Amino acid sequence: MPSGAELHRPLLTPRGPAPRRRTARWARSDWGLVVAAGGLSLMGALLVWSATHHAAGTAYLFRHLLMAGVGMGLAATVTRLGYQWLRAAAPLLYGLSVLGLVLVLTPLGSTVNGSHSWVLLPGGFSVQPSELAKVALALGLAILLGERLDRGASLGGREVLLAGVLVAVPVGLVMLQPDLGSALVLGALGFGVIALAGAPRRWLAAALGLVVAGVALALTTPLLSPYQRDRLTAFADPSADPQGIGYQTRQVRIAIGSGGWQGQGLFEGRQTQGGFIPFQQTDFVFSVAGEELGFLGAAGLVLLLAFLVLRAVVVAARAREAFGRLLALGVAVWLVFQVFENVGMNLGIMPVTGLPLPFLSYGGSSMLACWLAVGLVNNVHVASQER
Amino acid sequence: MVVAVLFVFSIFGAQLLRLQGFDASAVSAHALDSRLATQVIPAQRGSILDDKGTVLASSIERRTVTVDQTAVPEYKKTVDGVYTKVGVAGAAEDLSPLLGIPVEKLTPMLTGTSRYRVLQKNVTPLNWRKVSQLGVPGIYSEPTSERNYPTSTSAASLVGFLQADGSAGAGLEVLMDQELRGKPGKTVYEQALDGRIIPSGYQQTTPAVPGKDVRLTIDSDLQWFAQNALAQKVIETNALSGTVVVQSVRTGQLLAVASYPTFDPNAPGQSSDNWTNKAFSDVYEPGSTGKVMTAAAALQEGVVTPSTVVEVPNRLRRADHREFKDSHDHPTEYLTFAGVLAVSSNLGTMLVGEKMSPTTLHDYFAKFGLGETSGMAFPGESRGILEPVKQWDGSQRYTVMYGQGLSVNALQATAVYQTIANGGVRIPPRIIASVGGVPAPAAQPVRVVSSEVAKELRDMLEGVVTSEGTAPEAKIDGYRVAGKTGTADRYDPKVGGYSGKTASFIGFAPADDPQIVVSVTLQRPVKGYFGGVVAGPVFRDVMTYALQEFKIPPTSSKAPKVRIKVDPPPPASDPSVIRDGRSGGGSAGPRR
Repeated sequence: MPSGAELHRPLLTPRGPAPRRRTARWARSDWGLVVAAGGLSLMGALLVWSATHHAAGTAYLFRHLLMAGVGMGLAATVTRLGYQWLRAAAPLLYGLSVLGLVLVLTPLGSTVNGSHSWVLLPGGFSVQPSELAKVALALGLAILLGERLDRGASLGGREVLLAGVLVAVPVGLVMLQPDLGSALVLGALGFGVIALAGAPRRWLAAALGLVVAGVALALTTPLLSPYQRDRLTAFADPSADPQGIGYQTRQVRIAIGSGGWQGQGLFEGRQTQGGFIPFQQTDFVFSVAGEELGFLGAAGLVLLLAFLVLRAVVVAARAREAFGRLLALGVAVWLVFQVFENVGMNLGIMPVTGLPLPFLSYGGSSMLACWLAVGLVNNVHVASQER
Repeated sequence: MVVAVLFVFSIFGAQLLRLQGFDASAVSAHALDSRLATQVIPAQRGSILDDKGTVLASSIERRTVTVDQTAVPEYKKTVDGVYTKVGVAGAAEDLSPLLGIPVEKLTPMLTGTSRYRVLQKNVTPLNWRKVSQLGVPGIYSEPTSERNYPTSTSAASLVGFLQADGSAGAGLEVLMDQELRGKPGKTVYEQALDGRIIPSGYQQTTPAVPGKDVRLTIDSDLQWFAQNALAQKVIETNALSGTVVVQSVRTGQLLAVASYPTFDPNAPGQSSDNWTNKAFSDVYEPGSTGKVMTAAAALQEGVVTPSTVVEVPNRLRRADHREFKDSHDHPTEYLTFAGVLAVSSNLGTMLVGEKMSPTTLHDYFAKFGLGETSGMAFPGESRGILEPVKQWDGSQRYTVMYGQGLSVNALQATAVYQTIANGGVRIPPRIIASVGGVPAPAAQPVRVVSSEVAKELRDMLEGVVTSEGTAPEAKIDGYRVAGKTGTADRYDPKVGGYSGKTASFIGFAPADDPQIVVSVTLQRPVKGYFGGVVAGPVFRDVMTYALQEFKIPPTSSKAPKVRIKVDPPPPASDPSVIRDGRSGGGSAGPRR
């Protein structure tokens, strides 16, 4: 654990040489990462605007841009606070996010679009604690496993088990909402980080076996609600239920298929402008790109997302200590899995599980979480340059 | 890690390529079809106008206002400077006066989950604009049109009406439907899930082609007058029905065709019996007005001259001893042939008519237009009944001479007099002056008798409208009038035989330069039934109005003195006198 002096150092040095130092810190940001995230946010703003302007004018555009701005500010703050503060705040953040997930299950929780994953705050705001839990988990695992590795020790069963518990608590709470998509992302994040930290193979195999058993159990017993099971199976055969979940899948496929090579043009997509796809600005924002920007635009977005993830991987590779490496890798695993799941369900090769596309989908909590992640990775980058 | 990322993203690339590169055109074509919607743009129906351009039927743009009930609760407006949501209650309050539906009735119509419901039909464009300006969500409209008949019942039986679904119901609306209807246009557009037009989507509009205006030869003022005069007389005499036909002598154009009882074309949902124009559809035995055809044939065939004397007994036996008689008993009279027509003697007409073969008579009837339609194809137009000679029974050979045993509609009866007034040339009646500004083709004239014969007949018919004739009631001060009464036995299909009378008067004026022919026919009048008494006054009123309406000046010439009776009787040896050589006094035995 960090000492008190270390914790307070950055906070207590606003005067003196600090301004020059801060500027230098800024300049050493991973600009590729920041620009990619910023570009994705702006693209997202355009796509969200296009999907919603016929019904809501510029309301969604403004809120999306506002959240992107706030997210950038948070990322800048995280970058500025630095490593040590993160180490100190990690347990608190993890605790807060678990508390948030518990709150969702209390009467404070709220159901939006069939998913009970929201907490209403005074002033008309609402947050989705499961999004912020991803940040907290990435940070928590990095500290738990990274610090031990940095001390030169190898991972034993105790640490792996502890890390498993650290993962299992938010995953279990999110499953209770139930929000399968977020649970999968958290699970993947946890599994990925533990695996990449060098956990023994047999432990990993055991964890995988547990998951497989869980899935088999879910599909064969009434553990999942019929609604959830439908969502999981409908993607394979959209015509099975053309009015329900299959309808959405089919309309998305029509939208993307109608885009062709060059797309129909922004604000010109007939499926998008016709409002045929429910929740298009959130879970299915990728279909807006597919229809209006075509193969070139959609593939460009995929490349940009890939660049962002690879950037995080590169940062991880350059990190001098295990904490930073695992943190950046955690973010990378999280983002890649979420992109994989979201784009996959848009393309009809993954089941529909209700996940936002990082930076692009409309949704404040997701946007903040993604920018916080950028802040974390940037921190690792800056730290790797410092020493 | 890097490999895994690249692997995942290359799968996406492949799937994107498959969806957008290879399947794209099929997917997008199918998707387009599923989004396309068509809205029909109704064509403005052409107007029906009279000869002066007065509107008899016209279509007015209207809107059918509909509601999507699910959207109404979002209605917001500024109340006392504050923009607030007023919802269904506010919408009902604002819409109520514009749609003419009380709030308490309108509120439930706006409430619910129905995505489509008709609120009000036939909303004026002005009111729709006001409704539209309110900005109540979910309120839409569809263009429609309403047919208006400003002259109401006056020309109803001619013009017809439109049914509730917009299809033609009767009369000229049916006859001219192809021209009036126009061609509806359409807008094909891409429809959003909630029914909006997708602005960026495919959209193509084929404009509607409005229908053509149809201009009639009818004079609506005259039509109105004739209809009123007729209605009054039908009611006064307690008749079953009646018709008035006013025709231009020179052109054959119909100037008014009244028919009563009739209906209100603005609300045609009454008895469909009256939807036809009886002048076209009702057939009846014309009676004495038909004698003119026999007279015309006899003059043209050289059988008689107007001054030929006819010895008319009180009874006449023909056709297996059947006894024929005139309408009144009378001693044996000596009438000129003109007099036979003037006093409308059945027996006198028979004595002259039997000098011609049945075939000759039949051919004249046919040339006068009996047994065939006018060629106008007016809905419900009848051709009348003119049986071939072979089918005539014994007495029919005689009865047809005085207008029984054959049937006509009022137009055919009128045409006989138009022919005589027009110097012997019959012009089949026409009612359409022009369609879309293009004059309607003229009817083919038919010469029936020579102009000399026509002139003789005109003079003879003038004798009818004298104090010695049967219709002094038809006289018009200052004008010379020629005409003929008819009081026919009426065949009643309900009885299966003769019951009641058909009273008629057909005439033209001015007699020396005929311009207008008017026929008045009343079916089964109860209070009075002689043609002169019942139909004569209507003829006089309508003819007077028509002469004034068309500014036809009185002629200053004097009527010819028509000798009707021969007194003292000519000597029995006079060979020029036509006598009953077969049944008179029983001395001559029956031929068969």
